[in-house]
Amino acid sequence: MQVHQQVSEYSDAIDLMVNMGPQHPSTHGVFRLVIWVDGERIVKVEPHIGYLHRGSEKICESEQYSQIVTLFDRLDYVGNLNNELAFCLAVEKLTETVVPERAEYIRVILCELNRIASHMLFYGVYGLDVGATTPMLYGFRERERVQELFESVTGARMMHNYIRIGGVKEDVPDDFDKNVLILLDHLKRGVDECDRLLSQNEMFLARTKGVGIITGEDALDYGVTGPALRASGVIEDVRVTDPYSIYSRFDFGIPVGSNGDCWDRYYVRVEEMRESIKIVEQAISDIPDGDISAKVRRIIRPPVGEVFVRTESPRGDLGVFLVSDGSDKPYRVKVRPPSFANLQALEYMLEDTYIADAVLVLGSIDIIMGEVDR
Amino acid sequence: MKIQNPVVGFINGLMVTIRSTLRRPVTAEYPAIEKRLPLSNRFMGFPALTWDYDIEEPYCTGCMVCVRECPTQCMSAQMKDNPQHEKGLSRRRKIIESFEINLGRCILCGICVDVCNFDAIEMSHEYELSKYQRNANRVNLNQLLDMGVVYQNKLQWTPKQPQKNSGIPLPPKQSEDSS
Amino acid sequence: MNMPEIVGLFFKASLLLFFILMVVLILTLAERKALARIQQRKGPNRVGFKGILQPFADALKLLTKEDILPASANKQIFWVAPLAVFLPGFLIWVTIPLAKEVVLANLDMGLFYITAISVLSVMGLLMAGWGSANKWAMIGGLRAAGQLISYEIPFIMAILAIGILAQSFNLKEIVDDQAQWPFAIKQPLGLFIFLTAGLAELGRTPFDIHHAESEVVGGPFVEYSGAHWSVFYLAEYMNTFTIAVLTVLLFLGGWQSPVLPFSGTVQTVASLSWFLIKTALVIWVIFWIRGTYPRLRIDQLMSFGWKILVPASFINIFLTASVLYYALPHWVITVVSLGFLGATFYFIKKGSLAGNKQDTVTIINSSDIRAQLSNKAEV
Repeated sequence: MQVHQQVSEYSDAIDLMVNMGPQHPSTHGVFRLVIWVDGERIVKVEPHIGYLHRGSEKICESEQYSQIVTLFDRLDYVGNLNNELAFCLAVEKLTETVVPERAEYIRVILCELNRIASHMLFYGVYGLDVGATTPMLYGFRERERVQELFESVTGARMMHNYIRIGGVKEDVPDDFDKNVLILLDHLKRGVDECDRLLSQNEMFLARTKGVGIITGEDALDYGVTGPALRASGVIEDVRVTDPYSIYSRFDFGIPVGSNGDCWDRYYVRVEEMRESIKIVEQAISDIPDGDISAKVRRIIRPPVGEVFVRTESPRGDLGVFLVSDGSDKPYRVKVRPPSFANLQALEYMLEDTYIADAVLVLGSIDIIMGEVDR
Repeated sequence: MKIQNPVVGFINGLMVTIRSTLRRPVTAEYPAIEKRLPLSNRFMGFPALTWDYDIEEPYCTGCMVCVRECPTQCMSAQMKDNPQHEKGLSRRRKIIESFEINLGRCILCGICVDVCNFDAIEMSHEYELSKYQRNANRVNLNQLLDMGVVYQNKLQWTPKQPQKNSGIPLPPKQSEDSS
Repeated sequence: MNMPEIVGLFFKASLLLFFILMVVLILTLAERKALARIQQRKGPNRVGFKGILQPFADALKLLTKEDILPASANKQIFWVAPLAVFLPGFLIWVTIPLAKEVVLANLDMGLFYITAISVLSVMGLLMAGWGSANKWAMIGGLRAAGQLISYEIPFIMAILAIGILAQSFNLKEIVDDQAQWPFAIKQPLGLFIFLTAGLAELGRTPFDIHHAESEVVGGPFVEYSGAHWSVFYLAEYMNTFTIAVLTVLLFLGGWQSPVLPFSGTVQTVASLSWFLIKTALVIWVIFWIRGTYPRLRIDQLMSFGWKILVPASFINIFLTASVLYYALPHWVITVVSLGFLGATFYFIKKGSLAGNKQDTVTIINSSDIRAQLSNKAEV
């Protein structure tokens, strides 16, 4: 009812109400966007979420700490390792576990490679949203290389369950350093090629420049984080402004946009891939020998208390809030998913755009529905 | 980055695509067995039970720790007294009687392998899930052992704790007692 | 017209239909293979040797699929629409010569006939959009109407300039006129306009706006399945071939080649193959563009059409006509045309399309941010 009352204000201008999703090819999962259009122009949009709700946070309350890592794998199913890291950091902070150096380096290397893989997926899907078919395949080609490395290290291509509380599951294989360097070499060329293919194309610029603008202040107000926020000119990267793990040791660049439009959000991610490569290079040259896991009990019983940890996942500021009642299962786990917060700004960004732009703006904030609905 | 002339942008794109046209394809033809991508040694497929070739019985003693630790509760197991042990042929007092995993539920997390004290369960290299019948993904003890044998042979698998988990009966304890 | 003549015509028409069907089947395979190579894939490789029989498998599958009629669709319009798209495209073929002697009916007003008939396919797309009773189909149909009608103008204008240059609307005579210099050299601007507008007419990337998969989910074709859907695609590939053939006929000299020492039947076969090679090249370019470029938005498409292509096509006609009227040498057209082609790109660059263009993404070093933060903390 409320919806219809709101819409009646616009009723003069409305031609048509269309459902974009939950089964639309470019809503990146099962996201539903109800669009009221006047011709091709969008008058009002209303996002509907919840089609992928699995109750992950509630399930966490009935699982042991070591088992929850597998659930976090499945929140943001493109940036899995980053999600695992966020949860493990939270538990480690609660139990005051000190993670061995080598484990920290392995974590950072894998997380940054995961960020590249995630951004490559974004690149490919964004190309598809704009209507170019080839970027998809190029993006996946590069992502496949990263996943091959993951397979040789963690045993799985996506759901790794590799980063464990107190360290990592097992040491990296012997040829890890060599493989990473080869991979980085490929990735550098791959990113350049992807960049040349799409970024400078006049049609791509025409489609994305000046579309879906959000100012830095508004983005902050909406709780937008990650590349989407940096594209609006706000320098905010948890890896630097509130460093976790060993990120404070590395020297890398933070790409920052100025317009806050789709192109900036896109290009910030392309540049971020290059910066991630730099981080991995530094990490791989300093990686020390030693243990890969702290001594933790198999069934972890953290002291009573609560903890909040934020990390920079490929999509933005991933927060984990954990309440422990002293038992082997958490009392409450709350995830602050970046995609969910970024999605809130969608309605704002879609003001005064076209139907075709809705796809682009939605693509440019790079949502993962598994994370939005949890 | 500087934004260039549109003609440069157009031509750059065309050059990228024509260059990759001349490269070899990167895809593998999946269902053909000889053309699949090679799996790395650490690849985690479905869990499988390992077979102790020394005394021809499974490593698994049915201690149920994997069943309890499994995040999705996809396993069930039952143990029995080991007849081989009574005859003095095996060190294992208990042995697995039945073991069932619903592979449709399994999330391939590898926790069962981590918690197993007897090196009895391993993540095999099986990963194909499609079956023609409903519930055909429930595998019983024999199927699990078959998968395990394939895996063991492929990787020349040896237990991680061979001393502790070998099934070969210990020498009689009299000597220790007397000393 | 007596009976044998009618039978003969019927036979010829069936032969033409068969030829077109074969071409379409080959094109579907060629496009999938070409796109696959561009994307470093292998493409279809299961049916027959290296996937050569894939189009037949596809056709068989499509023909045996169920034809679904949406509950609230307008039945007559829904079923007639595919034919209304296919027929005009097919009728064009009556007058298109593939070699000197290979043509069904060599009309004197051939070009005029082509431009007149080809416009009609808009109706079919609109009917499909309306008849399916689907909102996305409706949006797609309206987009198609807007796009096809506005690009009809530069398309026809480019053809008209060729008519002026060749002093004929007869396709054979136009080709004969290019014995020395293909019109592509005389009219680069015309070629650019013709190819761009032609791509838009086809609805191919970068102008595939009316059936954009990621926006309107296939546009007018959303609700179609099976045989009717395949007729749409038949029409699309047939039109692709038509545009390629027309490009070769009008701009690349048709079957004219620098050296063709044969005569009689051999010559016909040789010139036909030469012609088909040229066509294949143009089609490859179309596929190449499809594999490279993203899609435009409908308003950008319109503004590109009306603000750049239409003026450019008028300039093209004016230029051609005045050179002929004042009997200037033909290289003048080439030079001025090239100049205007450059001007067209200049106008594209000038930002009629992409608004503000500056260096927007800067990279700030992490150490700078850390220094700033520590300064703040001290204060």
